[in-house]
Amino acid sequence: MPVIAANGLVKRYGRATAVDRLNLDIERGELVGFLGPNGAGKTTTLRMLAGLIRPSAGHAEILGHRVPGAGLRRVGTMIEEPSFYPYMSGRDNLRYAAMLHGSVPDSRIDEVLEFVRMENAGAKRVRAYSQGMRQRLGLARALLHRPDVLLLDEPTNGLDPVGIAEIRENLRAVAAEGVTVLVSSHILAEIEKLVGRVVAIERGRVLFDGPLHRLIDRIDERLVTVRLEAADPDALRSALQGLKREHTAVDAGRYRVRLSEAEVPALLRELQERGVDLLEVRREGEDLEGAYLALLREDGRPA
Amino acid sequence: MKALTLVVRAELFKAVRKRRSYVLAGLWWILLPLVTLILARVLQVNVTGSFLDEAGTTVTAILQGLASPFGLARVALTGPAFLNPSYFVIVVALLAAAFIGEEKSLSMWKTTLVAQPSRLAVLWGKIVAMMAIVGVLLLGAALSAVLAGTLAMSFLPTDFSGDWGGLAGLYLQQWAHLLALTLFASLLIFLVRNVALGIVTTFFLPPLLEGLYAVWRATVGFEPLNRVNALFQALELKRTMENLPRWFFTDNLYLPARSPATDLIGLFAGDAGSAEIRRELSQTPLASLFGGSLTLPHAGLVMAIYAAAFGLLLTVLFVRRDVE
Repeated sequence: MPVIAANGLVKRYGRATAVDRLNLDIERGELVGFLGPNGAGKTTTLRMLAGLIRPSAGHAEILGHRVPGAGLRRVGTMIEEPSFYPYMSGRDNLRYAAMLHGSVPDSRIDEVLEFVRMENAGAKRVRAYSQGMRQRLGLARALLHRPDVLLLDEPTNGLDPVGIAEIRENLRAVAAEGVTVLVSSHILAEIEKLVGRVVAIERGRVLFDGPLHRLIDRIDERLVTVRLEAADPDALRSALQGLKREHTAVDAGRYRVRLSEAEVPALLRELQERGVDLLEVRREGEDLEGAYLALLREDGRPA
Repeated sequence: MKALTLVVRAELFKAVRKRRSYVLAGLWWILLPLVTLILARVLQVNVTGSFLDEAGTTVTAILQGLASPFGLARVALTGPAFLNPSYFVIVVALLAAAFIGEEKSLSMWKTTLVAQPSRLAVLWGKIVAMMAIVGVLLLGAALSAVLAGTLAMSFLPTDFSGDWGGLAGLYLQQWAHLLALTLFASLLIFLVRNVALGIVTTFFLPPLLEGLYAVWRATVGFEPLNRVNALFQALELKRTMENLPRWFFTDNLYLPARSPATDLIGLFAGDAGSAEIRRELSQTPLASLFGGSLTLPHAGLVMAIYAAAFGLLLTVLFVRRDVE
């Protein structure tokens, strides 16, 4: 039985359709990335799963219970930017949430504060918190009642690299304890480092649902990025222009070219034939971004 | 029921942490008895033995009615109803802004309703918490007044006498009447999705409706007798129905608080007494200010109908509306 199930979810706002017959099954303990550009319908879907908005058609189930229903008591959420009562301390905000949940001991508040490395900031009022502290407190609140399901919407939004890495580690630790996590993001690099399964949506429809590696592999024209450095940078640039290869300058003398994997040997041969002495050829690797953009192009979106 | 209890506890916890809550209480609990006692002292010093107090009993009676423990407790109930907008409306509107409007302005609904998915429990938990706070404010006002009156007995010729049972009943009735106002303010603030606009609407929509109704009634009036009206007439409900819009925030809401006002004014009439004043007042344009010909059971019925209507509407909207 899936822990999170969306069955033909539709959400319309007037004539606009934000989510269009979306189906989704997520099993216990999975850590799933929910991908999509801004306005794709990620947040609307998460809000429907959390019981905050009603679907125009279809229904969602959490832990076998139809939403809204008893299943929501086992869900932790952080939807969009986490919000708090600014006049209360972080600890009091958690205590308020704990009271609403019921049966959350005070010791659990200390545990979650420690888990997100906020044990020394719990007594401060939330209005004095930085963006990163608010994000971490939001995660702490989502974990407060030991949920079985976590619905997270852009949890690393606005964080610096250190904060992003910390949240990532926290989520991995949570998933390792058997919590099912659905995490949305439009930052592909983040999803790539975090999850094993990806659900990509656009215009409210699911474009792809499966393991991350399959999303990359399924693109026939597998895109790679090659970084080239030549003894004579001008010669390299004019050769790339002559070959009509799109390229970007990395720094003085080095260029980055994006092309399909099969075209790489031919490019190197042609550069050699044009008298370009290559000092370095480095493949930067296929990436999620290339696969994802190709996916969007397939769907007819200019990407 | 368990969910409701959880929400009430959480909301009261939040209210206690909100320092602004204490400002209103301070104004009511401290300032009102203080001003009244200063007035009483000025009266005692300047009027005792003057031509206004020839019999030597008038000022004593006024001081007993105004500044004794019982008198101050009566003032603490009566005074706030005569402000415009009434102190009761201010308190309830600010509470509704804190409990309902704040969730929207701080984007907290998405957190609250996930932590406690029962929307019925969340809504009614907040209403119960608001009513509890209103009850505490009323009780605090009474207690601080009694305390101030007791202290004042050291320099004023007053004692503990008075109709304490009747006054306690009026306090209780006023608290119950405020349920309709609490639901009304919550409904408006929830509907307009803006705290400031919600508070302003709570202050000014009822007088506006009452004004429009008065104009409509004066120009058109109710249709003549038909079967429905005849039925209402027979049940003596027609007048109540007619009076719903006219007397929403005036006579019915304030009746428990304004009812003893005639007794207070009666004190200044000396031997004529409050009964005479009450009779005189009922024949003047000021009649509605002091409750007019309304009775407390009638006012209770009107407010109960309003509470049911607002409560139902608010519940339906709250349970069905999407949380953005």
